[in-house]
Amino acid sequence: MAQALVDLVREGFKEAVLSSHSHRGDEVVVLRREAVQDVCRFLKDGEARIQLLRDIACVDLLTYDTEMTGGGALASNEVPAYDLAKKAPREPRFQLAYNLYSVVRKQSLRLRVELRSDDVKVPTVTGVWRTADWWERYIFDMFGIEFIGHPNLTRILMYPEFQGYPLRKDYPTRKRQPLVAELDFPDLVRGPGPGPGGAGVPMSQTHVGRKNVDPTTYD
Amino acid sequence: MADGRLPILRPEGNVPESPRPHSGLGEEAAVPVLLTRREDAINWFEEKVSGALGWARANSLFQYPFVTACCGMEYMSVMCGRYDLARFGAEFPRFTPRQADLLMIVGTINVKQSPVLLRVYEQMTEPKWVMAFGVCASSGGFYDNYATVQGADRIIPVDVYVPGCPPRPEQVLDGLKILQEKIQTQRHTLHSVERSPELREEKKRSFLGKLLAR
Repeated sequence: MAQALVDLVREGFKEAVLSSHSHRGDEVVVLRREAVQDVCRFLKDGEARIQLLRDIACVDLLTYDTEMTGGGALASNEVPAYDLAKKAPREPRFQLAYNLYSVVRKQSLRLRVELRSDDVKVPTVTGVWRTADWWERYIFDMFGIEFIGHPNLTRILMYPEFQGYPLRKDYPTRKRQPLVAELDFPDLVRGPGPGPGGAGVPMSQTHVGRKNVDPTTYD
Repeated sequence: MADGRLPILRPEGNVPESPRPHSGLGEEAAVPVLLTRREDAINWFEEKVSGALGWARANSLFQYPFVTACCGMEYMSVMCGRYDLARFGAEFPRFTPRQADLLMIVGTINVKQSPVLLRVYEQMTEPKWVMAFGVCASSGGFYDNYATVQGADRIIPVDVYVPGCPPRPEQVLDGLKILQEKIQTQRHTLHSVERSPELREEKKRSFLGKLLAR
């Protein structure tokens, strides 16, 4: 139904569109990242009349090919489940999805931009939709994607002292960054002390007694 | 009491989180001794005063609801007509921690909030108690992730834990009854200033102490 929108983008930006397809009824257009601003401006002001940016989503595809569950090496405070030193990232690692909707035409469209892990930068679309401001700050907060030209690119959910990007797949799942000194005392469920098998490790993992699993040999 | 001794009542017993004051009695307190009439009288006095204090405190809990999440809906239900927490004396939510003596942590505590919670707790005056309302406040619940404090007891001492996601109002009432029991059975012991050297400075400062030390 929204094929008309795809055709509009394809006509207007022949070299910017890498591919397009339909996934379960959603029309997806994969773009070069340099063209994001122009395409968005065209979609909003042109005959597509897309006034609504529903959301911007980001996906880290680091473990996409190899691991569907990602639950193995959880019992650690420091060691990431997927050590980038041992495992080369899948490229392009990040995918950004702009979910758009035209209230007038009652049609939706998804723009997708793929980013390599060595250059996580993309032009901002805050000039097109104001709501992109907080979405882009959110993605910067969670994934560390840098939006070039954003007026105030700071953390929006996490505190400023927070190190790293928590929704990246190489962020240690057990890692905690407390703001105040936390009391440590024997606990019936979590057991005493930090570390593997200690505080903060759920029973489902302690009873198995798994240590950190080497990401290369992980089953 | 002998002259020059300033009698002081101190809480003792089931207050695991407070720093336990030195009783001043030392090892001999553990050894059964023949009670003199004086000790007998002090015991009787302590018992009566502790009972009265516990009764007064347990039945007029002024609460400060620290509501952060969906458990707040259940908290409202507890406070309203059908379950009616007011029946147990915990009627009046105060909206400043300085006037409250029961801190109810209702909902998830995340790391960004933990300094706020600590500050709220520190602003409350003694005696103070803390209830962890729901699993998130008790243990972090299923939010076992980068953003969530794994139980409010990592930040501040907690007296009673009410499990449930969210807890039924009956569970909260039960938790409150347990807390009241704890407050009621708290024992205050009589100390004299001479037996507690760390209180001598206090004695010098207070008017009554100056009067008695003369």
